[in-house]
Amino acid sequence: MITFNYMVSFFLIVLGLYCIITKYNLVKTVIGMSVMDYGVNLLIISIGFHPGGTAPIFTPGELNPTSFFVDPIPQALTLTSIVIGACVTAMSLALVIRIEESYGTLDTREIRRLRG
Amino acid sequence: MSMVSFQHFPIYAILVLFLGAFVVTAFGRKGTVRHVVAMLCASISLLLLLALIKPVMIQGETIAYWLGNRVPAGGYAIGIALEVDALNLFFGLLVTVALFVSTVYSLSYMTHDEHQAEYYTLLMLLGGGVLGMVLSGDIFNMYVMVEILTFSAVALTAFRSKVYGALEAAFKYLVVGSIGSTCILAGVIMLYAQAHTLNFAQLSALIPGNMTPATKVAFALLLVGFATKSFIVPFHPLAADAHGAAPASISVLISGVLTKSGLYGIIRIVYMLFGTMQLGAIQLLLVFVGSVSMFVCVTMALAQHDFKRLLAFHSISQIGYVLTAVGLATGLGLSAGLYHAMNHTLFKGLLFLAAGAVLHETGTTDLDKLGGLSKRMPHTTALFLIGAFSISGIPPFNGFASKWMIYQATYQKAVESGNIGYVLVTVVALVTSTLTLASFVKVTQSVFFGQLPKELENVREVPVGMRIAMGIFAVLCVLTGVFPNLVTAYLTEPAARAALNALGYIDSMMGAGYAESVMVTPPAPVAVSFAASGVWAPVNWLLLLCVALLGITVVASLGKYESVSERSGERVAAKYQLFYGGEANWDAQVGGGDLFWGFKHNWRHYFDFMHALHSGIVNDYAQWALVALALAVVVLQIVL
Repeated sequence: MITFNYMVSFFLIVLGLYCIITKYNLVKTVIGMSVMDYGVNLLIISIGFHPGGTAPIFTPGELNPTSFFVDPIPQALTLTSIVIGACVTAMSLALVIRIEESYGTLDTREIRRLRG
Repeated sequence: MSMVSFQHFPIYAILVLFLGAFVVTAFGRKGTVRHVVAMLCASISLLLLLALIKPVMIQGETIAYWLGNRVPAGGYAIGIALEVDALNLFFGLLVTVALFVSTVYSLSYMTHDEHQAEYYTLLMLLGGGVLGMVLSGDIFNMYVMVEILTFSAVALTAFRSKVYGALEAAFKYLVVGSIGSTCILAGVIMLYAQAHTLNFAQLSALIPGNMTPATKVAFALLLVGFATKSFIVPFHPLAADAHGAAPASISVLISGVLTKSGLYGIIRIVYMLFGTMQLGAIQLLLVFVGSVSMFVCVTMALAQHDFKRLLAFHSISQIGYVLTAVGLATGLGLSAGLYHAMNHTLFKGLLFLAAGAVLHETGTTDLDKLGGLSKRMPHTTALFLIGAFSISGIPPFNGFASKWMIYQATYQKAVESGNIGYVLVTVVALVTSTLTLASFVKVTQSVFFGQLPKELENVREVPVGMRIAMGIFAVLCVLTGVFPNLVTAYLTEPAARAALNALGYIDSMMGAGYAESVMVTPPAPVAVSFAASGVWAPVNWLLLLCVALLGITVVASLGKYESVSERSGERVAAKYQLFYGGEANWDAQVGGGDLFWGFKHNWRHYFDFMHALHSGIVNDYAQWALVALALAVVVLQIVL
């Protein structure tokens, strides 16, 4: 079950990288970055998952050594990572808009004033 | 002052910068307010770290600080920690010094720009992010700080969005930078899956000796992730793009501070987290990447026509030196590498500020359009020359001291390990230094000497604030060059010792005896030697010179002979005939880009190849990152 999660997250990361490398449209590049991020998020959340565990929410006194719950730390990490991913997307789209305004194109092959 | 109060200094130093960012955003509409706040925050943070020199560097204390006093429970680190030993403090000092000077410079440099409140916000965020990264003792925290610094650096690269290529540079930096950040995150989480902790010290205790295929992949991911942050080959085109577009005060931070945060990450993971530096293969890997960065970037710099872009390639070339020296895994090498890292922050900062001064007054950084500025900007010229001498390794400036130590360290390594390849590294380092000098002869000639173009007749000296900022760096360049013994004794050797002292780092964070009880093979406390072992024999070098000359002669004689008349045919413009003694053209103008034409002509196939490779297409750069990652994964699976 969890192996399937790992496979999907690996697939998403590779798909994202593939998209960044082979697509010449800036918006698709941004999509590739997001997909890669989602892959990593899925990886994080899968690592913290224990089959059969409950949500890690307890009131004081309720927690005892027999409590079986999923690892809360990866969930906190995923939240941080999602926020950061949203920032990356917002910022790169803002840049894409400005690039389109000044270059008149979204083709990465034409956005290469700086080279050599 | 008691030890307890020192404990809080690192967190204050970080917090004051983040606080400053918010205050500037809220109340920074007025120029004086934002200037005062920015200067205050940068100074406080610098002073707090300077105050730590005595306890940490000299008395050898290690500050382990748990946020909210959540100390480890049941042998597990549950809180977020800051840990400051000599290595952290060393990098922290570089950050705060560069940030302080950059802020001083910005006060006069940014006066003509709009949105200055946003500029200072991002500047403080950048400083806080890097400082947080190098002082943190928690690997996930390091990742978050890496993201903060990448964001603010990208935003600041695009800050002058009207500058040629600024937006494009920022976008490329963001794409490859976030591939790097994602690598770091994936590496962090894979380590967490293995060891169930995010505390750096605890990881350093649990991971070495328990390497699984997954931790090896995590190692590769972290290595590549931090490499993107330090811009070593194959990530150097991003640095070149970003530096060319960013304001000079930001170039100082990108080159002096961001690259250092990447280097800090690499040093920490290879020496401590994975404890792999005793392996010859890992040493070779770092030295190889470092040497390639050194050489490729200096040759790329030779072909540049833009002042700041040229400096950017040199910057990565110098980072190559640091990585090479760090990869030697000897006390001398590590100390030399850290020394050079410090010098790099100082002289590179000075050079970028001088380039910014030229841009501020002339409005261009194109080497072919500049010239003769020494008559109009004598102070800037003098300061620039100090920087140029330093980076070229001319005594008594600081570049000489650290490069000399690096030559010694690589040569000593060759003798100790019996691997003749390390002699080659010494040779590459020497050749790179020569090419650096050559390239700075070109810059000096084409910007500050030679003829003053008509358009630049009215250029004046830059405001005094900018000269003060450059002066601070210049004075530090000279001081660290004249007193190398003090620098090594009080800064680099404590830091090198700290980098090699995994046991001390773990125990001061997790409690005494923790490392002994948990680690599979606790590393024995090593006696670190910083002495050059007297293998630096001139006769060897004479022999080496003979061999090298013989080799060059053989290679040169293999090449196809071209007569001068053939060469100076159609593809050679009249001005180039100067290089063949074309006296008829003695008055031809030789621009900055032409100065090494003869050399570049002979190397044209190499330069054509490199030019085609640095295509400027973001897909290509992303592909390089992927190739680097794939190679790192494969290599580390094999050698570990």
